[in-house]
Amino acid sequence: MHLTLNGRPVDADPPGETTLLDFLRDHRGLTGTKRGCDRAECGTCTVLLDGEPVYSCRTLVHRCDGRAVETIEGLGTVDAPHLLQEAFVAEDATQCGFCTPGQIMAAVAVLAREADPTDEQIIAGLSGNLCRCGTHPKIVRAVRRAAAAMRTASHG
Amino acid sequence: MADPTKTAPRFVTTTVEVEGRTEERVVEVPAFPVEPWGPDAQLTHVGARARRADGLLKTMGRAPYVTDVRRPNQAYAAIVRSDVARGRVLSIDTAAARVLPGVLDIITHADVPARTRLFLPEITYLGQPLAAVCATTSAIAEAAAALIRIETERFPHIVTVEGAETSTTLARPGLSHNLMGGGPKVVERGDVTAALAAAEVVITREVRTPCALHSALEPHAAVAEWEGDRVTVWESTQGIFRVRDNVAKAFGLSLAQVRVICEAMGGGFGAKNNAGAHTFIAVAFAKRLGHAVACLVDRPGEQIDTGNRPSTWQRVTMAATRDGQLTAIDLEATVPLGISGWEESPGDIYHELYACPNVRTSVRIAYVNTGTMAAFRAPGHAEGSVGLEMGMNALAQALEMDPLALRERNIATHDQRRGRPYTGNRLAECYAEGARRIGWVSRATRAPSAPHRRRGFGVASQVWSTGGGPPAYATVRLNPDGTAEVLAGSQDLGTGTRTILAQVAAEALGHRLDAVRAVIGDTATGPYNGNSWGSMTVASLTPAVRMAAEDARRALLDAAAGILNVAVDRLATHEGRVTVRDDERSLAFGEVTAKLGNVMIQGHGSRGPNPDAVGIVTTGAQFAEVEVDTETGVVRVLRIVAVHDAGRIVNPTLAESQLEGGIIQGLGYACFEERPLDERLGRPLALGLHDYKTPTHADIPLIDGHFLEGADPQANTVGARGIAEPAIIPTAPAIAGAVADALGVEVPDLPLTPWRVLAALHHAPQHRSP
Repeated sequence: MHLTLNGRPVDADPPGETTLLDFLRDHRGLTGTKRGCDRAECGTCTVLLDGEPVYSCRTLVHRCDGRAVETIEGLGTVDAPHLLQEAFVAEDATQCGFCTPGQIMAAVAVLAREADPTDEQIIAGLSGNLCRCGTHPKIVRAVRRAAAAMRTASHG
Repeated sequence: MADPTKTAPRFVTTTVEVEGRTEERVVEVPAFPVEPWGPDAQLTHVGARARRADGLLKTMGRAPYVTDVRRPNQAYAAIVRSDVARGRVLSIDTAAARVLPGVLDIITHADVPARTRLFLPEITYLGQPLAAVCATTSAIAEAAAALIRIETERFPHIVTVEGAETSTTLARPGLSHNLMGGGPKVVERGDVTAALAAAEVVITREVRTPCALHSALEPHAAVAEWEGDRVTVWESTQGIFRVRDNVAKAFGLSLAQVRVICEAMGGGFGAKNNAGAHTFIAVAFAKRLGHAVACLVDRPGEQIDTGNRPSTWQRVTMAATRDGQLTAIDLEATVPLGISGWEESPGDIYHELYACPNVRTSVRIAYVNTGTMAAFRAPGHAEGSVGLEMGMNALAQALEMDPLALRERNIATHDQRRGRPYTGNRLAECYAEGARRIGWVSRATRAPSAPHRRRGFGVASQVWSTGGGPPAYATVRLNPDGTAEVLAGSQDLGTGTRTILAQVAAEALGHRLDAVRAVIGDTATGPYNGNSWGSMTVASLTPAVRMAAEDARRALLDAAAGILNVAVDRLATHEGRVTVRDDERSLAFGEVTAKLGNVMIQGHGSRGPNPDAVGIVTTGAQFAEVEVDTETGVVRVLRIVAVHDAGRIVNPTLAESQLEGGIIQGLGYACFEERPLDERLGRPLALGLHDYKTPTHADIPLIDGHFLEGADPQANTVGARGIAEPAIIPTAPAIAGAVADALGVEVPDLPLTPWRVLAALHHAPQHRSP
């Protein structure tokens, strides 16, 4: 099978029952995508499949044949973080940080749909992503902040 | 430098409070005195909103969690668990699992050291590990685990306190009685019977609180790797040194043979204070196989077998004078603890929070055949405050008194449990500020959003010992380029330990914050520190860091004095430079250290003793505004105002994050969270995060969290106390009080799920009194 992973073409031949999560973490070493439950409940494994957020623990990797997968590793780097990553730091929208990559990937999808989302739209877009530390208010603030920064950036 | 002629002892004894328990501890007296930072101290980095040191790594997905550790040839273990609550293993058939391609090893009771207490054939709860499989991948290990056939003989199980009291059998071997201590634990101050007999106003209420699960998003996890006779364990833990001690004891190793590393961990909340079965399984397999083995607990295992906050039943009777002065509190309570755990009594807060001369608590704690109890954020107090505050509300109603006024009338001015003063209790200010923020006096004017919805307000309070204490150690060293490192064998649970240690060191050194880095989470590199529990880390560790930094600064100034040829007492430090009084010359730290070559400047810091005969507590008040839908029974929490006095706040941003976190967990405890149990089978019915519902983004109210400004210089040299656990204590009772206020009828059992709300409404008078 072939897929585009963080913008790069990848050829792979994983066993048929391999989940996208196991493929990313165990076959590709991309451990930024987390395994919090492995039963489609917590959202820590959220990645984008053709731009749409999916629980990678409940997505067979073979369903991704010919499609584009984006993970947290493809978003930004320490030297050049994505605006969402910058906003999460600025708002202290991490505590333990284990849910953070999934929250950010879900937020990428929200901001791709809506440049100026309401809090309700942000909350709806992130409601599949649990956070046990109770960082929710700051996560929503961070997404709002990133949205504003992205609008500013796109309007130059 | 210690004076060699000094005769004062180097080691003395002090008392430290951990999770409500008082412990005597030996403490090293600091080598030189450090003047506490008082409320008026002019500080640059301490108190600043410094960014979380590892925040960016976390947003990159690059923070190194234990579940992300990848060692050469790393294999994966899966645990086979009991599916009965009480019984005995008759036989284990591993033949089918053993031949599955990729399976490397299988272990049962006979294969592990007895002191691990792994895979005991006597089954005492459902979910008990009975065997483990190791394979090249997690998926193969899990598949093989499902092929292991275990034949068991079933015994009758016990899951309730009543069952524990009447059963002719014991919940587990080794017990002399199913009740902890053989009967109720009764603690009485004054004469409750006489006070109740003479009371002017008396109320009685019964409440039930649910069994709550920590549900950290990173399940318990360990990776073990041996090198010769030494083992390194990567563990998701709140206490690297405690895990070291656990592993050494279980495997008969010296402490020097065990190294424990935890650089990042995905939440603990009290459940990750010890090595667990998963740790010993990883260590055992790694030794047998000669390469690294990971044992990552799966979600059902996490929900069943890594600890919980036990449920409680509480019957509270309270009495007061007509003008609202408490005269008696009488609590009877039961706690089905689980198969093991310690005494976390809902009774303690009844003795502590409100001023009352006559208090009696009688608590029966039973060992039962369910998973073990583990400390869960303010264990005991979070449960007890639900009953106590409901009693206060009922009393206010009986007295026709404002519930806030009743609380203000009965503030505890001293530590009633131990008969000593507090270093401070600013609860009155917390009430006043909170009432102002929520608009308490004008609350009746807030209209609901629809005719079938009702608006209500509640208030609750909190007290929790947060003084921390020794032993805690830190080293601060300056590198040849002038940058500084703080070394401490502590860990960052997401609380921001890494960040605040750097802030305190930068402050005491007079350094730039960006030139100071904290190196924590490794028993091989940092000096001893205790667990991050009991809201203790800030108050325990930051004074040690401050002292280490002061020690390093002294050495730096000695070196600079020689270079500049001036007396040391003319030197100061500021933002990474040594300056000279009445002189324009200055040197960057790096210029001083460069002159020293590789001679290191290292400061040693130890946490001194706690002050004698005084209680150190964080207090606070929370106010809730809710709206309840009388047609669906849905409770919507609209707003929480929280005002706490936690002494000096080292980093307001991080403290607010923790405060919000405690409030949101408290909201879950109030509204959604419960572990249902099939009592007939002894089977917990919440195996995941859908059937155990924690708050989601859609459930979050407006949170207005506020800390009183100030510092507690009597408590320690930084003037800080803890906030992690205080944050959760008043949330659930404030919400429950607000729901009762909205409905005009109490909902006696948590969580406040729609059916409980509707049932309470159904039994209530048709309309609420105005």
